[in-house]
Amino acid sequence: MTLALELQGIVKSFPGVIALNGVSLAVERGSIHALIGENGAGKSTLIKIITGVHRANEGTIKVDDRIVHFVNPRAASREGIGVVHQERNLIPRFSIAENIVLDRIAAKTFAPINYREINRLGEQWLRRLELDLDVRRPVSSLTAAQAQMVEIARALSLQSKVLVLDEPTASLTSHEAEALFRVLRQLRDQGVAILLVSHKLEEIESLCDCVTVLRDGRNATSSGPLAGYDRAALVRAMVGRDFALEQAARIGFTSTASNSVPALELDGVSTSLGHRDISLSVARGEIVGLYGLVGAGRTELAKSIIGLHPIVSGELRVHGRAVRIGDVNSAVHRYSLGYVSEDRKAEGVILMHSVLANAGITIWARLRGALRLLSDSRILSNVDPLLRRLDVKAASRHAAVRNLSGGNQQKVSIAKWLAAGVEILIIDEPSVGIDIRTKAYLHQLIMNLADQGTAILLISSDLPEMVALADRILLMKDFRLVSEIANDKDYTKISADIMSRIQAVAFD
Amino acid sequence: MAVGRSSRSQPNEEASTALGLLLLIVIAFAVFSWTATGFASPYNLYTLTRTAGLNVLLGLAMMVVIATGGLDLSVGATGVASAMFAGYLMQDFRFQMVIAIVAALCFGGALGFCNGFVVVFARVHSFIVTLASMSIIFGAMIVLTKAESVRDLPASFLALGKIRWFGYLSPMLIVSVAIGALIAIMLRWTDLGREILASGASSRAATLSGVRVGSRIITVHALSGMLAAAAGVMLSIRNGAMVPSMAGNLGQEWLLPAFLAPVLGGTLLSGGRAWVLTTVLAALLVTELTSGMLLMAIGEFWVQFALGSVLLLAVLLEKGRSTLMGTGEGI
Ligand SMILES: Nc1ncnc2c1ncn2[C@@H]1O[C@H](COP(=O)(O)OP(=O)(O)OP(=O)(O)O)[C@@H](O)[C@H]1O
Ligand SMILES: [Mg+2]
Repeated sequence: MTLALELQGIVKSFPGVIALNGVSLAVERGSIHALIGENGAGKSTLIKIITGVHRANEGTIKVDDRIVHFVNPRAASREGIGVVHQERNLIPRFSIAENIVLDRIAAKTFAPINYREINRLGEQWLRRLELDLDVRRPVSSLTAAQAQMVEIARALSLQSKVLVLDEPTASLTSHEAEALFRVLRQLRDQGVAILLVSHKLEEIESLCDCVTVLRDGRNATSSGPLAGYDRAALVRAMVGRDFALEQAARIGFTSTASNSVPALELDGVSTSLGHRDISLSVARGEIVGLYGLVGAGRTELAKSIIGLHPIVSGELRVHGRAVRIGDVNSAVHRYSLGYVSEDRKAEGVILMHSVLANAGITIWARLRGALRLLSDSRILSNVDPLLRRLDVKAASRHAAVRNLSGGNQQKVSIAKWLAAGVEILIIDEPSVGIDIRTKAYLHQLIMNLADQGTAILLISSDLPEMVALADRILLMKDFRLVSEIANDKDYTKISADIMSRIQAVAFD
Repeated sequence: MAVGRSSRSQPNEEASTALGLLLLIVIAFAVFSWTATGFASPYNLYTLTRTAGLNVLLGLAMMVVIATGGLDLSVGATGVASAMFAGYLMQDFRFQMVIAIVAALCFGGALGFCNGFVVVFARVHSFIVTLASMSIIFGAMIVLTKAESVRDLPASFLALGKIRWFGYLSPMLIVSVAIGALIAIMLRWTDLGREILASGASSRAATLSGVRVGSRIITVHALSGMLAAAAGVMLSIRNGAMVPSMAGNLGQEWLLPAFLAPVLGGTLLSGGRAWVLTTVLAALLVTELTSGMLLMAIGEFWVQFALGSVLLLAVLLEKGRSTLMGTGEGI
């Protein structure tokens, strides 16, 4: 047999929820195997069982045809299983290199630490992913995408027989993703078995050999070659019925007298984080996209606008009035300006609090009655329609967000800002980890917001999403705006245009 | 995903903790009635409910700060200083009782406000700030009062200490429970309370959602100061005097009950979760244990030893519980 990993009849339940109900999976050596399914289907739970984080209630796991019982993650990694989980597991204060070779530092308890060797090793693995970062930088200073790449480098450095990746490309641009795919193909050719979770069907089609589809904790398809499926068939297996993927296109933004004064305007803005001379404007009802490679400074710009970091020169104008925004509270409640964070775990949601407490946080101040009294039912009536529309799957509205699947956490993180009813909304990587069906709903919601007059600044590394939503696309590189493209929604043309412009700037 | 049971049928953590505490209270009552002579006598129950009133307030004073992930070591010093303040207003300036008490609450609130202000603007952990303010407040109070008690108090004030209902119940417990109910409503049904818990659970996520985390930290410290002041006034009513040493040197004697109630009551030391009902029940249990053990004449030091052990055990149990099973319900 050439099976590197085989699972049979896996059952896993949590209090109140059966996450996996008799799932089987077979991954061949020297293949890239896609594990797909909607948010909450059980993909991450399955991966946590393969890697010894959770223990299955029932079922068997075989590695190289031997039955194994993993009591903890170390046991799994001893069997040659390496993993990048959906959520980041890095030590923020440690350097990039230390994080990459961490396991080997820990193994030799009393040996003196050779930093030159650590940095050399760290550098070596980063280079393979074509990442140009100083390996001595602390991980806390990295963006979500950079941290993602560092964690992938760590998994690669273990040189495992089975490599498991849970949505590794969720926050990457196609540029970084391509670098990752090149490495994955090399590994496959060397005989490594790779199990990959992704919601991006294009990348699955171009990369994977085999596929397993999960739905509601069961196999919607058993493991088999990907060649047997076209895209519609995959979608049908995931959703459980036919689902049209076509995006409702937006009529588009037209400038009129009522939106001639930009809702949000930056004029020659420089920030303490290093942005120089940024000028941009977003009108009421307009969606302006901000695209750039990892580390271009887009998230940092958004955070400077909402008052988390100081603007050192230039002018920020809201509805034509020059303003100084000192903190997020006044951004939201005085200037009606909101920001959907890209980092859902640390900034987007409060993991220990309920779905309801998270979804309502932006509207508490608005909904409260006399004596600041505010009931659950009042909050619920405001956020429930959105939670339903985004199809947030949770045991109940009172379930802790910590216990939701990654994609469902992301939905909560967005829902609270869609509910907030702000006039200007900065949306940073909204569809990270969200399944295709919800993504279509989400895009519809964002377009509706714009149609109702909200000014939207959209930061996304997902180029198809950018092309589908934005009216104009601004390109950012090294904390400067380098270019602007009018979006005519012709994906092939626009993506080629963007790539060539980014390359051109790169060789300046 | 398959939803097995609805969350309604899931055991609610707060309710199960409350039930556990209630059970312990009943068991301890039975055991002490049997082993400690005079435990169930009306007079002992009266003093027990009187002390419970004090301990409930102390527990709540600590709980509101712990809810944001901080703590307040100055509850004792603040409580005594505020009571002394009320005493001087009544003795030397002939203030009316009600006005003096309200002034004392404001005084305690102001001291707490200062704590919170320094915590937020100097970005120092509340442990250090309140350790310092404990010494400062207590030291200043001793200097200003020359360590002398206030005894020349209006008759109406002294009369409060003599009220006794049904022979065994002190109204002090009722007052404290009523204050607890207000705090429960604040935490559960106002935006203020929700913001306090959000700030404690994740200050970063709360900040980015537009919550003024700094203000909320100041709010809880001020509230804690007010509750400590109320406790100080309550103890003075019981003593019929304001005594600078009534909470021990630096007010330290209040710290153990102040931490025991919220910790036994399931308040997370890291912040983000606080239950009033269980804190009140835990305060009752602690008072009961103390009273029972004292009646059994096993010695003050052993009582301290036992209470300290209970605190440690409660912290370890909570740690074990949260690592062993991620619980379903959120807050
Ligand atoms: N620790 C937990 N406690 C309770 N329920 C859990 C826990 N972890 C996962 N679940 C539940 O198990 C189900 C499967 O979750 P899982 O994270 O495996 O989904 P997923 O397929 O990875 O989804 P996504 O695409 O959103 O990442 C979900 O309904 C989730 O709510
Ligand atoms: Mg997942």
